[in-house]
Amino acid sequence: MTESWGQFKSFEGKKFDTLDAEFTKEVSKLLGGKDLTACFQCAKCSAGCPVSDKVNIQVHELMRMLLFGLKEVLETDMVWLCTTCYTCQERCPQGIDITDIIFGLKNMAFKKKITPPGYVAARKSLYDSGKLYEPTEWEREDLELDDVPELNVEDTRKVLDKTGLMKLEEGE
Amino acid sequence: MTQTYEVFLGCAIPNRFNNYEASMRAVAKQLDVKLIDFDGASCCGTVVLKSIDENSWLSMSGRNIALAESRGHDIVTPCNGCFGSLKDTDHVLHDDEKYRKMVNNALKPLGLEYSGKAKIRHFVEVLYDMKDEIRDKIVKPLTGLKIAFHPGCHLIRPSNVAEFDDPELPSKVDEILELTGAKSVPWGLKLACCGSPLLITSEDVATRILTEKMISAKEAGANVLVTNCPACHTQFDVQLIGLKDEKGESIELPAMFVTQILGLAMGLDPESLGTELNRISLDPISEILGI
Repeated sequence: MTESWGQFKSFEGKKFDTLDAEFTKEVSKLLGGKDLTACFQCAKCSAGCPVSDKVNIQVHELMRMLLFGLKEVLETDMVWLCTTCYTCQERCPQGIDITDIIFGLKNMAFKKKITPPGYVAARKSLYDSGKLYEPTEWEREDLELDDVPELNVEDTRKVLDKTGLMKLEEGE
Repeated sequence: MTQTYEVFLGCAIPNRFNNYEASMRAVAKQLDVKLIDFDGASCCGTVVLKSIDENSWLSMSGRNIALAESRGHDIVTPCNGCFGSLKDTDHVLHDDEKYRKMVNNALKPLGLEYSGKAKIRHFVEVLYDMKDEIRDKIVKPLTGLKIAFHPGCHLIRPSNVAEFDDPELPSKVDEILELTGAKSVPWGLKLACCGSPLLITSEDVATRILTEKMISAKEAGANVLVTNCPACHTQFDVQLIGLKDEKGESIELPAMFVTQILGLAMGLDPESLGTELNRISLDPISEILGI
């Protein structure tokens, strides 16, 4: 069992109150979610996944939880420990956009504040400066590279205000 | 004919790997590829923003594409993260009217519109199309260099988005590298993720993935690891420093960018390619590289 992330650590002894068909529908509507219900549990996704041996809940189990409408999936480590390598999506014999579905689950988890703190900090940096990192000037001078062109931060913020990036959390 | 692109650097290259930008510009100059600075670029959006909120990601990334489009240019980027993010956005906005409307609605106050005219290419795609020109420029063959080439995920997957190479047996960048007389060695975990996107969530898991990869590259007999992505390079040339295997032996390998390898084989001055900024010592291969 790994401790790296996620509250949902094992199926053992777990009892689930509801199988929420609405949740499955909601996930099906995500970007990449349209073929979700075609999953027949061949587990090829988990076979090629670089974190299968490092998580408590593997990709094919995550997919099963989605079909069963188990919202607890948002608390599994597989959601935020997906490296986004797209191997599962590339290989799925049913053509399911698995990695894209996991991106959608991350969006859902973020709204519920089930998020590694680094992502909250990254959001602030993207909103405040329009980027994640600043140029290292002395290196650029040594290599005779020109300055990186300036970004009009106000313009980027207008876009991000429209999409509500800083007000994603539910109930706020 | 001179090719012209707006060059999308992203955030990671100017922050950490100016040697990648310098060597890309030097190689582009040799090949008569014209790179115009990308005015007003924000972060590409990246998997980070896609993880937080897809509408914000599509809009931020769509703004960058629309900027190049408004100036009538195609985009080239040396970063897998930017390439993946921009291509993925382009793919979604091209196929799905609902998202295209949402993005264009957000871009309207800026006087911008995405319509999908700007092509998005990775710098190695441009290189692959110029193999003959590259071959003619090689003056210092790198005989004895055994490269473990790491393509990085978003250059090749998902293949219907990246539209570049075979996702299970990629060979295009290897072909470019072998024009220098170097050998691209096959290795077991070549296609596996480097672990870099997990540095934000769990450095421990990211490091375990990196360790597995390095053991595989070493077993294959490589004497250098080569990438075309600043995020992957963060793992191989920063995070890797000091890492050891279970027996306590170092698993470090010199790490270089594709464009540095090409530049050296073209006889360019190593200083202009920023080889002094590679963090892991290049000493074990300095004779082969002629530096």
